[in-house]
Amino acid sequence: MAQLKTRKHVHPSNEHKTLGQLIKRDKYLLLMFLPIFIYYIVFCYLPMAGLTMAFQNFKMGSGFAGVFTGEWVGLKWFKQFFSSVFAWRLIRNTFLLSFYSLIFGFPIPILFAICITQLRSQKIAKAAQVITYLPYFISTVVVVGMMTNFLSPSNGIINQIIKDMGGKPINFMSNPRWFRRLYVISGSWQSFGFNSIIFVAAIMGIDPALYEAMRVDGASRWQQIIHLILPMISNTVILLLIMTLGNLLNVGFEKVYLMYSPAVYETGDVISTYVYRQGIENKNFSFAAAVGLFYSAVGFVFVTGSNALSRRMTGSSLW
Amino acid sequence: MKMNRFLSILLALMLLAGCAMAEAPGIKPLTDAEGATVSMLAMNSWYSTVDLADATLLNEIEKRANVEVEWNLIDPTIYSDTVSPMLASGQDLPDIIQLPDTDRNMTYLSTGMFVKLDEHLDKMPNFAYYLEKNPAIKASLTAVDGHIYYVPQTVVADSYQPVMMYNMPWVEKLGIEPPKTLDAFVEMLRAFRDQDMNGNGDTTDEIPMSIQASFLPYMFGPAFGMDPVSGFYADEEGVVHYAAYETEKYKNYLTFLNGLYNEGLLEVEFTSLNRDQITARFANDQTGVTYDFSWQMSNLYSAQYPSYQADPSKGIVVGVPPLSGEYEGAYIGRNDVSGVFGVNVKAENLDLALGFLDAAMSDEAQDLYVWGMEDLTYVVKEDGSREYLPRCTEDTIWYQGLGINAPNMPSQQSAEATAVLLADWHVEAIATQEVPYARRPFPDVYSTEDEVSVISMYLTDLTTYVDERAVAFICGYASIEDEFDSYIETLKAMQVEELIKVKQAQYDRYAAAMQ
Repeated sequence: MAQLKTRKHVHPSNEHKTLGQLIKRDKYLLLMFLPIFIYYIVFCYLPMAGLTMAFQNFKMGSGFAGVFTGEWVGLKWFKQFFSSVFAWRLIRNTFLLSFYSLIFGFPIPILFAICITQLRSQKIAKAAQVITYLPYFISTVVVVGMMTNFLSPSNGIINQIIKDMGGKPINFMSNPRWFRRLYVISGSWQSFGFNSIIFVAAIMGIDPALYEAMRVDGASRWQQIIHLILPMISNTVILLLIMTLGNLLNVGFEKVYLMYSPAVYETGDVISTYVYRQGIENKNFSFAAAVGLFYSAVGFVFVTGSNALSRRMTGSSLW
Repeated sequence: MKMNRFLSILLALMLLAGCAMAEAPGIKPLTDAEGATVSMLAMNSWYSTVDLADATLLNEIEKRANVEVEWNLIDPTIYSDTVSPMLASGQDLPDIIQLPDTDRNMTYLSTGMFVKLDEHLDKMPNFAYYLEKNPAIKASLTAVDGHIYYVPQTVVADSYQPVMMYNMPWVEKLGIEPPKTLDAFVEMLRAFRDQDMNGNGDTTDEIPMSIQASFLPYMFGPAFGMDPVSGFYADEEGVVHYAAYETEKYKNYLTFLNGLYNEGLLEVEFTSLNRDQITARFANDQTGVTYDFSWQMSNLYSAQYPSYQADPSKGIVVGVPPLSGEYEGAYIGRNDVSGVFGVNVKAENLDLALGFLDAAMSDEAQDLYVWGMEDLTYVVKEDGSREYLPRCTEDTIWYQGLGINAPNMPSQQSAEATAVLLADWHVEAIATQEVPYARRPFPDVYSTEDEVSVISMYLTDLTTYVDERAVAFICGYASIEDEFDSYIETLKAMQVEELIKVKQAQYDRYAAAMQ
């Protein structure tokens, strides 16, 4: 999680110092910060010059100099993208994939955290936590490989079970109807344990005296959850929800790329994979840059929007 | 104008000079200096355990030319993805570059990154000699502006192409002639599905046909009168069509495949099937039909059978003639030029780079790519003919590591030298069951700038759409009855007709150049 700036704050000892004095005092800290600063300049800000490509006709071999020498074509590539039959589908797929991930992926860690904290046996709770957050550390390639194996229509275990129960095998990985479900289910399987840590921490942070008071008043476990735990962690939940909203359009390129095939483009092709195919595979660099820029612009609206929402609702925001 | 005339005179002179050359010039030392180097970006071996950076045969060429090559070799499976961005940046490129494709859209050559080789043919005697010997390839290498930019790598185009193969013991067990028509073929698949072909007592473990999705158009397209492999194809009158936009033929083709799928003759898994899985099925004697490069029939698929290991005189998985339906069947081959090499205009020592590429193109080098070296890979028999040493077939990794058929050099594949390595029945199957039916795909033609803008704007989206709809129709996710018309409408909206116009113009240019 990024640092949250909750209020303007100036340390009293900084008040009468000049910038030079501050730099001198914090030189080692600044030195440690330098690599990160350089990283952002080189990998995040300099490449932005390449965005001009989206308005130019980029020629092979012109490299970075193409930014200055390219022929300007205005909004040609944007027009081409929006007149393509795929434009709407790509936007829809990108949005729906993240939306479903959010809807189904977000509540699970909360429910899981509540369950874990209600367990009497500390040993079982600890074990359950470790087991559920281990998948988070499996790489995406391996997860998709496991899915391909388990779901294979000829010898995958899932289809074996279906066949043994007298059903017809389903070709999960190349049926467009299954793509989103598989993406969302595998995604939340992988991350719910890890994401629950923050909620567990929030629940642990509740003052035990409050539980005791409720128990004295004769509240059942269920009532404790509804009237104590949920209200106490609601701030954390809202904050996390808003921050996830900001990333709503960030579907994992690698996972989609590993999972999809022409057979499931209908539901699986997203903007980032389309940009990859157009840009790297078909060398339409300018067109891909235009589509990517549009994608980033929408993402920017989401991030700033959710930041504003967060400031309004919880009083804390990223900037 | 004047320049053009000057150039054409120059070219004519060169041609004359070429005619005068009766014999291949061969490899000569390019420099007296010690330690002269040329840098080269190219593909590594297709065998993942082989590294060609220190290949014996390539070192030999370097030694004879007195040049050392600084290789930058890249895994062929990721070559295009790696090299296109390098070329896009235009920075720090080596002297000789193997292009990620044959550059038919003139993406690279229009940028002026590559030397016009036809202006330097005096320094490239071997290449000049080659062009003179192969006018068709010369025509196909000449760009729209009349210049030649690339040195080709070629493949055998009619033999060693994808063919249909039957599990012959199964066909014999049914007591039928190997089917040549679609109807007989479907009958056979049904028998494979329902009977206990491998005799293990289980009638359900037979998979009638194992075919990778990319081979379906090869296998069934021609029988429906189209070439869906190239997509665009010209009919006998020279009119260009787009296979997936043929209302009648393509619909029939999809309906047929959908029928196979519904009957369980085309397996549910066909979109994700790969060669390793198919090989494993043959090892268990579980499948009856496949479609693959004809090379695989003896060396890969038949080799899975212990009975073949014991007696390799008769094949188990054997190539057969193509299927015919309403139309005569055919095997769709490929075009000669499979890859191209260009010389960087910024090359440090241009003459050296041109010279080395020329040496790599020479007949002398071709002989090394094909045969290797005496006593290393072959011996000369008493009658003067050559014979490969046994180690060549026994130790593939070693053999490939020498730089045989080097994928990183302008090597010209030869059918004869390949045939020597194969079993007799295999060579015969290729000669009788494949070559007579071979048909060329849509010709490789350079596009003009206007054509490129149409192609790059529409073609990718179009093929993406066609691919995914094909799967949807075959698997029944979309109904051919209800949705085929709207599919055709969508293709029209995606400007398929503009593309057909472009391809027609290209075909006409090609036909004119061939006459």
